[in-house]
Parts: sequence; structure tokens; C-alpha cells
Amino acid sequence: MAGAVIQRLLSSLLVIAGASFLVFFILYLLPGDPVLMMLAGTTFTPEAAANLRHQLGLDQSALQQFLRFAGGLLQGDFGKSLVSDDPVLPKILSQFPATAALTLAGTLIAVVFGIWLGVLSAVHRGGIIDLAARLVSLLGISMPTFWSGILLILIFSVQLNWFPALGSDGWRTLVLPAAALGLVGSGFIVRMVRNSMLEVMNEPFITTLRAKGLPERLVMYRHALRSALIPALTIIGIQIGELLAGAVVIETVFSRQGIGRLLAGAITAKDLPVVQGVIFFTAMVYVAVNLLVDLSYTLIDPRVRRTQ
Amino acid sequence: MIRSFRAFPAAALSLFVLLAGCGAPPATEPKPAQGAAPAASAPVQGGTFTYALAGSPSGLDPNVVPGAADYRVMRSLYDSLVVQLPDKSIKPWLAEEWTVSPDGRTYTFKLRKDVTFHDGTPFNAAAVKYNFDRIVNPATKSRFAITLIGPYESSEVIDDYTVKVNLKSPYSAFLSSLGQAFLGIVSPAAAEKYKDQLVKNPVGTGPFKFVSWTENAAITLERNPAYQWAPALAENKGAPYLEKLVFKIIPEEATRIGSVQSAQVSAAETVPPQNLISLKSDPNVQLLQAEATGIPYTLMLNQDHAPWNELDARKAVQLAIDFDAIVKTLYLGTYPRAWSPLTPSVAGYNKELEGAVKPDLDKANALLDGLGWVRGADGIREKNGKKLTIHYVDGSPNREKRNDIAAMIQQQLKKAGIAVEVEITSDTSTALMVKGTNDLAGVSNVSGDPDILRSFFHTNAIPNANKWGHNHTHKSDPQLDAWLEEGLKEQDPAKREEVYKKVQKYVIDHAYGFPVYVFPYTVAAGKNVSGFKFDSLGYPLFYDVSLKGS
Repeated sequence: MAGAVIQRLLSSLLVIAGASFLVFFILYLLPGDPVLMMLAGTTFTPEAAANLRHQLGLDQSALQQFLRFAGGLLQGDFGKSLVSDDPVLPKILSQFPATAALTLAGTLIAVVFGIWLGVLSAVHRGGIIDLAARLVSLLGISMPTFWSGILLILIFSVQLNWFPALGSDGWRTLVLPAAALGLVGSGFIVRMVRNSMLEVMNEPFITTLRAKGLPERLVMYRHALRSALIPALTIIGIQIGELLAGAVVIETVFSRQGIGRLLAGAITAKDLPVVQGVIFFTAMVYVAVNLLVDLSYTLIDPRVRRTQ
Repeated sequence: MIRSFRAFPAAALSLFVLLAGCGAPPATEPKPAQGAAPAASAPVQGGTFTYALAGSPSGLDPNVVPGAADYRVMRSLYDSLVVQLPDKSIKPWLAEEWTVSPDGRTYTFKLRKDVTFHDGTPFNAAAVKYNFDRIVNPATKSRFAITLIGPYESSEVIDDYTVKVNLKSPYSAFLSSLGQAFLGIVSPAAAEKYKDQLVKNPVGTGPFKFVSWTENAAITLERNPAYQWAPALAENKGAPYLEKLVFKIIPEEATRIGSVQSAQVSAAETVPPQNLISLKSDPNVQLLQAEATGIPYTLMLNQDHAPWNELDARKAVQLAIDFDAIVKTLYLGTYPRAWSPLTPSVAGYNKELEGAVKPDLDKANALLDGLGWVRGADGIREKNGKKLTIHYVDGSPNREKRNDIAAMIQQQLKKAGIAVEVEITSDTSTALMVKGTNDLAGVSNVSGDPDILRSFFHTNAIPNANKWGHNHTHKSDPQLDAWLEEGLKEQDPAKREEVYKKVQKYVIDHAYGFPVYVFPYTVAAGKNVSGFKFDSLGYPLFYDVSLKGS
């Protein structure tokens, strides 16, 4: 099992290296000149522009720039913002807790609703409840988050005045954005749980349990769901990545702090070091979360432990 | 481990209950006024005023930053030497009086003696000199104040409270520019202490003091209790009524407007046209409006590219576009149509231009026929195998529906046989300033003085790969240059206005630019807000604001 963990760690490192490469070159190849952006609105001489280009190392070859960028990342140096001249990593770290709280709350809502509706849907297959659950999941998947976010604001903040629509101080400001985010996540989980439940329900061991006269409730919730949970867990791992990405939109709609908002602002301002930093940081979080999910299989399912 | 999965429905249900039932009214909800209504003459002291900004300021060092969002916060932190009133007259502020030398190159200011910066250091002649010298110092990297200060040469401290400013050449817009917050006076001690980090640690002499800035969330200011040097623009003469002034950054329109309606913020800026109509009937909200002064949104035609160097071709474009229809359709009658490259509130605005150009498709077609452009099979005109095409550059995101203007113009010009290729890019600066690929491009600018026309029509403002500039007509016109320089030097206000009237008429007559709309900066505020004002540039002023029943 230790070998499997090491193998998993190594492949994670490879993914992170690949992410740094992609992040750098995608932004490197984008049109637009960061030097001209920085000098916008000033009268400048060609020499001043060349000087600045040299100071920023933008006159070096792409490879040199990449090596400098990757070397910096290894030392925890994400570069400096072109706009505010602040180091990027502290900026990200100061904004991350807000995003983490939002993503966790969103995941919690997605998981609780997703698993619950998924099981209900499978148990009452073909009935009204199944139809309703599938409809809700379809809505969750297909509604753009900015739209569901605005809808939640209009209903629960403007009309009912139950929750504040904006800001990121205290749990009350977390409810609406987390619900908007969780709605999307739960949609996928409902479908996943429903499908794997239906599969498991056809397995011989379920028939055996039923034949033994075990109450249907126990068969479903204690035995079938446990087996059905493994594929759902994978989806949850992927979902956390999706939710992190969704935070860009949600944080803007709800005027929250967070790295998504930081990213959105940096993109508009063409603040490349910040854009690179946030994307790379998010990739690392994503890899870490999925590593944890993979390792948690061994805890949930004894079969996985044995085959390793 | 998860043992009983029956817990799930229960957990979900309790979460639902949590979601649905537990909201206490927010703390910012206005309480009804107690007892008798307060007398209108005595504004209520205290309270926190929250103002929702649509975009985040980039920094709060007026000598450096250029943005409108920056300005909205800075105006409460920094005072200027003079103030310009809506009637264009210049009145004292930090300067009690001033004299201008006959050649228009030397300004001598007598300063107030009772003013202190927020950090306790005194405001004096040395502080003024420090500020102006700092702006023109290349190390400061000033992005806008350096433009406003114009042909500044040097300052001399005559005595503690007298400062003489020398200009390289006469600059008739100098006093008006001095009234802008971008030339507001910063504390020299703070500037020395924080250097380029003054953007995050602003210290001025204004009615409010800086408290904190939480990135992407809020900027908090508090009342300056020592404030006694208000400009003539304000009614209040002492410290501000408000205890605290908080700027919240809320980029999403629906959230911003919803926050005012639900009283989570006291007021929000930039109400979109579709919300204006419903807000007008909202009993809890008042709408306040000011014209964004300066250059209205104007489409400039690049004369570097044939055939737009020919007057008849430009005229054809001007006549083929129905600007009235565009403005009415897109802004639902809430934005006024612009007729001149200056907005109506700028001194020297040429009112005669209103209604002067009417759309005339037949005449546009005739002009293009006359130039030898013949319609091809697809209805687009051709000449020497080349199609008649306009490359139209516009920015993303779709600010004030400007992308929709492009789309409508595309449809309208098709009727005259002109193809319009629209390029929407978030990087307009490269397309416009460096590559100059644009035929048509829209601009707007905030300024209180007609000299702003120089930045859009003078030869020196033509951009190229190495030089920033906003003359997107790319036309070096000796006639316009001469007038713009004359206006810069002319000291007699009436004569000066005549010069700029000629400039505006010339721009329209020669179809250099096509004015589209005047942006009404619109603020939605709760009914409990009083004393909210705009300065002569259309920026909000919070100094006189008070909150009823808070």
C-alpha cells in the first residue's frame, strides 16, 4: 500500500509540473503586451518601454522566462503583481480562506443533497419522486451559476431579506453563494449515486439480503448505498475542482473575497503574474484534494485495500 | 464511519430549515425615525454610509492613479487648492486667494493657515511644492496627474503660506485642473514614509480619514473631526455628519442594485437603464443623477486608412447611421443623445450643433456613388476590386452596451453598402494605440475643461507603437492644432469659449467624430439618505451626506 501511495504522490508531482508548464505558455502566447498595459495612459519613450521590458525579464527567450518562472515557484516565489507591485503568493494566501470556506460549504450542500436525492431517486425508480429528483439534478447541472446566484439574491435577499447578498464576513454571507454553488454540484452527484445504486441493487448480494428477510430500508441504506458510494466519491473529488472554478463567477456575483475574484480582476487588468499564480495555486489544491480522495477509498472500501 | 444513512434526509432537512428560516434582519436595515421627524435644517450626526462601487479602485495616491473608481474614493480623502463650481467659476479651497501674472505663466497662491493633514503634519507652501514636484518626477510614475498639471515648470516657497507656481507656457485650464482630486494634496511626510505604497496608505487633509482597505471587499474611511476647511461647493462647514464612510466593491449589476433595495448598502453607483425604470417606482429608493462631464461617448473615424481620408466618405458614414434610433433603443430613453464632442455642461459647449446632423441614407448613398464605390452582388460596395469595409474596434466587457451600438451600426451601414467588421477585444489599447488597425473606435473622457479636446484632436495626441495618445482620427489638422493651442493660451473666458465652439463645429462638419450618448452617472440611494451631491465633474460627494434615523 505504501508503494501505491508513493506512486500516487509522484504522479501528482508530474501533474503539477505539467500545470506550471501549461499555465506559463498559454499566457505567454496570449496576445497583448504587459509592458504597454503597465504604461497605459502615460506618455513614454521607446527607451522607457525597453527598460521596463528588461527589468521584468520579458526580453529573454520563452524558455529562459519559463525556467525563471518555474524556479520561482519551487522557492514559493510566484512573482509580483504588475498592477500593485505586491508579491503574488501572499495575495493568494490572504484570499484563499474565503474561497476554501465557500468551496467547502458548497461541497457540503452538494454532497448532502446529491446523495440524499440520488438514493431517493433510485429507491423510487420510475415514480414521481424519481422524476422530481432527476428534474432537480438536471436544473442544477444546466443552470449557469451566475443566473442561479442572481435568482437566490433576488428571492432570499431582496424580497425576503433573510440573508445578505454580498460580502464575505460571517456565516450568514456564506449561505446564498454556497447554495448556488452546491446546486450545481449536487446535480452531478444525484445522477452518479442514482446510477450506481441501480447497478448495486441488481447484484446478487442484495437479492441474498432481501431473501434473508432484511427490511428493505436496511438493505438500501446500510448495504447498497455503501457500495454505491465509491464512484460517487470520485465524482465528489472532481466536483471540488469544478466548484473551485465556479467560485470565480460566484465570488463576483456575490461580491465576495477570494481567489476567484482575484483571478477575475487580474484577467481584466492583464496582470499576468497574478493570473498565473492563481491558476497554478488552484491546480495544486485540485491535485491535493484528488490525492486525498484517492487515498480515502482505501479507508471506505476494504476491497481496494486488499487489491493493493 | 457513516453508519446510518437514515441520517441523510434528516441532515438535509435541517439544512433546508437552516437555509429557510433563520435570517434575522440585517444590521444595516434602517430603523424608523423615533418620535417626531427631525427638523430639515439639522442633519443627523453619526452613522455609517456604505456606497457600492462597480469597480475596484487601483490605488489612492492621486499623484499616481488615473481611474474614475479611484477618484470616487479619493475626493473624500484629499482637498484641492481650488474648487470649480457647477457654474464653472473657480473658488478658494486650500488656497484662500491667488494671482495670475499677465503673461499667464505664473500663479501665486496664498494658502489657508489652519489646515493639517490626517497624520498631524501641517499643510503649507512646502507641501504644495512637494506635491507638484513629486508629480513631475519620473520616479513617481504618474499616470494622469502629470497630464493635468500640464506645462508645469517649478514651484517657489515665498513664505510658509505663499507658493508661486511657474509654468513653461500659458495654460488656461490650470485652475480647473487644480480643482480635480487627481491634483489633491497628499501629506509630504506620508509620501516620504510610504513611497510607492502611498496608494494603499493615503494621507490627505480631506473630510474623511483612511482606515482600512480589504482587497476586493471594502475601503473604510472615518470622519476627520478637525475638518474646518470645506469648499464653497458644500453646505456643511465643519466635520462631516457621517461617522464612517465605507466603499464596497460590487461589480455585478443585479447584486449592486438589489443591495440598495434591501438596504444592505446606503447607495449604489451606475444603475443600468433596464433598472432605472423599475427603481423609479420603488418607494424605498431615490435616484440621483449627474452628467459625466467632458467627452461624451464619441466614435472616431481613422483617416489613416483610405477612403476615410476623403470628406465625402466620412460624411456618408455620418449620414447613414441613425444615432437617435440607437440611443433610444439601447438606453430606453434614459441616456441623452450627444451632439458635440463636448458634453453640455462643459464651458464652451456648442449648443447650435444639437439636431444639426440628421440621418439621410439617400444622400449617403449618393456620396458613395460619387466616389465611385459600386454595389456588388452581395450589396456591399466595391472599387478596384476592394470592398468598402469599416474595421470597428470595441472593448470587452460590454460597458454601457457599447458592443450593441457596434452591432446596430453594422446593420445600418449595410444599407449604405458598407461592410462593418466588429472586433471586440479586452485589449483595445493594443489594437488602437499600437497597431492602429481601427477605422472606427469609441472613446469617452471625464474632464471639466474644454481643453480636453486637445487630447483627442491635436497632432501631438496621435498614437503610434511608441506613443500613447487618444487622437484616434489619426489626422494632423493644422486648423485644429491652431485653435486647440489658442484655447490653451487664451485668458479671456468668453473668447476662449468661442475658440472651442469652432473646434466642435469643425469636428462635426468634417465628420471627424460622431458623438453618440452622454453618460448619466446614476446613483440609487435609500430614502434615508440626504445631502448626497455631485461635484462639477459629476463625481459623488459624501461630505454633506447624513442618514435619517440611524
